[in-house]
Amino acid sequence: MNPARLATAWALFQGLLIEALPFLLIGVLISAAARWFAPGGQWLRQLPSHPVLGPLSGAALGFALPACECGNVPVARQMLVGGAPLGAALGFLFAAPVLNPIVLASTWAAFPNQPWLLLARPLGAVLVAVGLALLLRLVPEAELLQADLLAERRLALPLSEVSLLERRGGVLGGGGLGGGALTAAPGRPRRPSPAELFRHGGNEFLQLALLLVLGCLLAALVQTFVPRSWLLAVGGAPTLSILALMLLALVVSVCSSVDAFLALSFAAQVTPGALLAFLLLGPVIDLKLVGLLGLLLRPRGLLLTIAGASLLVLLIGQWINLWRL
Amino acid sequence: MTPLPLRPPLPQRAALQRGLLLALWALVLLRSSTDGRLDLLLRAAFHPLVALAGLLLLLLALLQLRLGLVDAAAAAERASRRQGLLLLVTVAFTLAVVVLPPAPSFAELAGQRPRDDTAQEDLSFVLPPAQRSLTDWVRLLRSQPDPDLFAGDPVRISGFVLPMAGEPPQIARLLVRCCLADAAPVGLPVRWPGPPPPPDQWLRLEGRMAVTSGADGRQLVVLPSRIELIARPARPLEP
Repeated sequence: MNPARLATAWALFQGLLIEALPFLLIGVLISAAARWFAPGGQWLRQLPSHPVLGPLSGAALGFALPACECGNVPVARQMLVGGAPLGAALGFLFAAPVLNPIVLASTWAAFPNQPWLLLARPLGAVLVAVGLALLLRLVPEAELLQADLLAERRLALPLSEVSLLERRGGVLGGGGLGGGALTAAPGRPRRPSPAELFRHGGNEFLQLALLLVLGCLLAALVQTFVPRSWLLAVGGAPTLSILALMLLALVVSVCSSVDAFLALSFAAQVTPGALLAFLLLGPVIDLKLVGLLGLLLRPRGLLLTIAGASLLVLLIGQWINLWRL
Repeated sequence: MTPLPLRPPLPQRAALQRGLLLALWALVLLRSSTDGRLDLLLRAAFHPLVALAGLLLLLLALLQLRLGLVDAAAAAERASRRQGLLLLVTVAFTLAVVVLPPAPSFAELAGQRPRDDTAQEDLSFVLPPAQRSLTDWVRLLRSQPDPDLFAGDPVRISGFVLPMAGEPPQIARLLVRCCLADAAPVGLPVRWPGPPPPPDQWLRLEGRMAVTSGADGRQLVVLPSRIELIARPARPLEP
């Protein structure tokens, strides 16, 4: 094996990792702050559970909590743990990496002469997020979310929102539970002690950092051993260019706050639909993110996310090509 | 008399392990911020963020360690087997990152990437030719593609040797907008007076621009009068 190529992969790995770690830390700090200031996450349960309004409200939270796609995984996890409606948490998870001031500003800075892109990127991100949230609603929560996340989430949910089969024997056999008891939210949550906050935040960061390491390693190896020019060679063909740029977004794994600048370097070589596809898919899923998302979603949910996001982005890209070409 | 809480021995205390691991991640970021490797990996705008995150992680690590020793509840928390595994893998990776600094081959990296073709509109045209960097030249030629405009202009540029398929190597630089993962090469053709230097070698060229006719039509080429081998600059990436 070519040692120069291996050394380059190692450098790429370090570049991706060191760039992403601060953003991951920001996400964990936001998540810890939410746990401290809103213990029990009562406000999270006030978010709408409507199939479309839920994801829209989650997406809108991106403006309040600016985190890129690595940082928003711990925040979305905290939303789910706090009892936020699934659609709202998924809407945040998938749309917030684009719908936040930093990412919109960087897109504007990179493409000041393409106002359609400034509108199409956030709109497309919302469409993808709502579409994915609708798709993932079809899977029962117990089969969608990871077991430990589900266990924490059930502590925050009112009993009426936990299905009978999912309740533990103590509740099922308790008898005498009236309707009032079923709709009652858990008792007033207490603010976590600093020791609890540090334990939870520390474990979360360490676990996510390790998953990030694996994702960056994978992304660096694929980037080094698959020449990028192969992907860009099909730049002019409408459908192929979209598929190629989607694949590139999966492989490159750069943070959503700077991916517009990367897109700028090949914008002239590809179709407008492909350019938008690159800017939409990367923030939802890439090699670096697979491990992190695996902390929230079971493999079935992860596969559905990848397939659903790819299909939606392909359709949006095709539509843009019909409009702009 | 209240019984004392049972405390696991020091190495088994979960809070101490957490503190140690956070300190290792802090070490990765702080070491990267001080040993110059960030200049090789990330655009300068991100450097303060990395250093700040390192300091914050160090602070959090110290607080965790203190809790593991002082706070009764935290000190009683016993590390699980899963945490032991987390400890091993994290120690291995963080130490590998600290001990093995990045040494990428720019020629290897550039060989796999498409050329950067952005034209900078706010380019400063008042720069005298001899003060233009390689990137300035490439962008200038992109916005003013007529080679005759620049024939005979003096050139003083530096870059690495980038092998080209089917033609002589060029002198090149990598442009980075975020991190090394998005690096895109820019290069200028050179008419080498003798055998070209090996790939990845950094050079400082002095000479003149000349126009040649090739398969791609008339193009500018650097005619070096002086070639100096140099070490890779401390900040080899260009924005």
